[in-house]
Amino acid sequence: MRRFLMLAAGLSVWFVCVTAQAAVVRYLSQHPLPRKMGGGFCYIDVPHVHDFGPSDPRMYRQVDGQYYFVGDPAPFDYQGPRTAYYGPHPIVEANVQFGHPEYCYLQGPHYHWYAPPPQASFEMRGGAYWFTGTYEPVYYQERPHYVAVNEAYAPIVYARPVVDITLAPAAFHGEIVGGGPGWRAGVVVGAPPPPVVQVGVGINVGGPPSTVIVEHDNGRHRGWEKHEHERGGWRGPPPGRGGGWRGNPQPVARGGGWRGNPQPAPAGGGWRGGQPQPAHGGGGWRGGGGGGKPSHGGGWKR
Amino acid sequence: MRRSTTFVFCSILIGVALAGACGKKSAGGAAGAAAPAHVDGTTHTDAVLDAWKSAGLEPQGFAPVTPPPYVATYCERGTVGGVDATLCEYADDASVDRGQQQIRDEWARTGVHTGVVLRGKRTVLSAVDHELRDPNGKTINQLVQTFRKL
Repeated sequence: MRRFLMLAAGLSVWFVCVTAQAAVVRYLSQHPLPRKMGGGFCYIDVPHVHDFGPSDPRMYRQVDGQYYFVGDPAPFDYQGPRTAYYGPHPIVEANVQFGHPEYCYLQGPHYHWYAPPPQASFEMRGGAYWFTGTYEPVYYQERPHYVAVNEAYAPIVYARPVVDITLAPAAFHGEIVGGGPGWRAGVVVGAPPPPVVQVGVGINVGGPPSTVIVEHDNGRHRGWEKHEHERGGWRGPPPGRGGGWRGNPQPVARGGGWRGNPQPAPAGGGWRGGQPQPAHGGGGWRGGGGGGKPSHGGGWKR
Repeated sequence: MRRSTTFVFCSILIGVALAGACGKKSAGGAAGAAAPAHVDGTTHTDAVLDAWKSAGLEPQGFAPVTPPPYVATYCERGTVGGVDATLCEYADDASVDRGQQQIRDEWARTGVHTGVVLRGKRTVLSAVDHELRDPNGKTINQLVQTFRKL
């Protein structure tokens, strides 16, 4: 009888144990570590598991139940190789096969740990790779959902790559955005009189040509300004403080948001003519200075 | 961690209960069983250990596991930089798949802070960081990268 009771007790414990499932979260490659785990970066670049989930799912794509980090690793103490990109592009990490096109929706300059393969449609210009191919329909279908990755980066202060957008390739279909989350580098194309360019003014394209100023704030990168008067966007004359090109009349307000339809800008990328900006012409002008949330930023954009 | 502790506790209880149920002490178990041998046609565990040493890693305490777990033909287990590593050689591809699945199932049951299971030919590397000795996974990644080159 005693043996029988002990056997029954053992089997009961065994049943409870085998039915209990531990938390196992699958990751496809490298990824940031949540702050509760001490922060930093996990450098395992093959499929692996942890007992914790991602800190911000907006920075991930789920592939067959595995989390794949699609963001910029730079703000997470990442110490591996970096390649600079500008604007949205297909994810071209050689070790990772999705079976279908997947896109990075980060706007503006950012890093990834992978470089594009030679056969991919990228051009290295102005310090970054620009995607010059054609976006698949899935890019537009999924953009409303995945563009939220930019909001995830909005409050993060870190050093983005410095990119000279005046060298944007003609075939780049994305938009030229004013700065970006945590990004204080400034690029001004045109000659606002006088050429007042402050640290962190972001990107402004438009206005009279002749001067190109690329500024960087020596690594301080204070990030997106929190004050509206410094947040970029077009601020017509007279010039105020903060950044932004202020030379020309206010562009036709067409709202912010991303409008990177597959409509190649005739002049390539942003409008950089010496004349007042076209009302509906190609390219685009985006207020600088960090511009607020990319999807809500002001400025003029074709 | 708590689940791991629970699992260990459960295992002890089960062991005690089964021993009590069976009454007399169990027989010799694996004593007398033939020592497992390496599998031809795949990367041997000692070759992996040599590669890790050449890569600057320091494998410690590796010894054959008898009987081999995870339906393997031959296994060795030890640590590298605080990471528990198990190398198993398999006789056929189907066993490799079953073995990998058993490892994943075990992790799902017991929990694991960080775990990697990777196949090279018919040799499987399983690396587990139970005690957060490799918080950013650099040691595990080095184990994996070296293993993949073999």
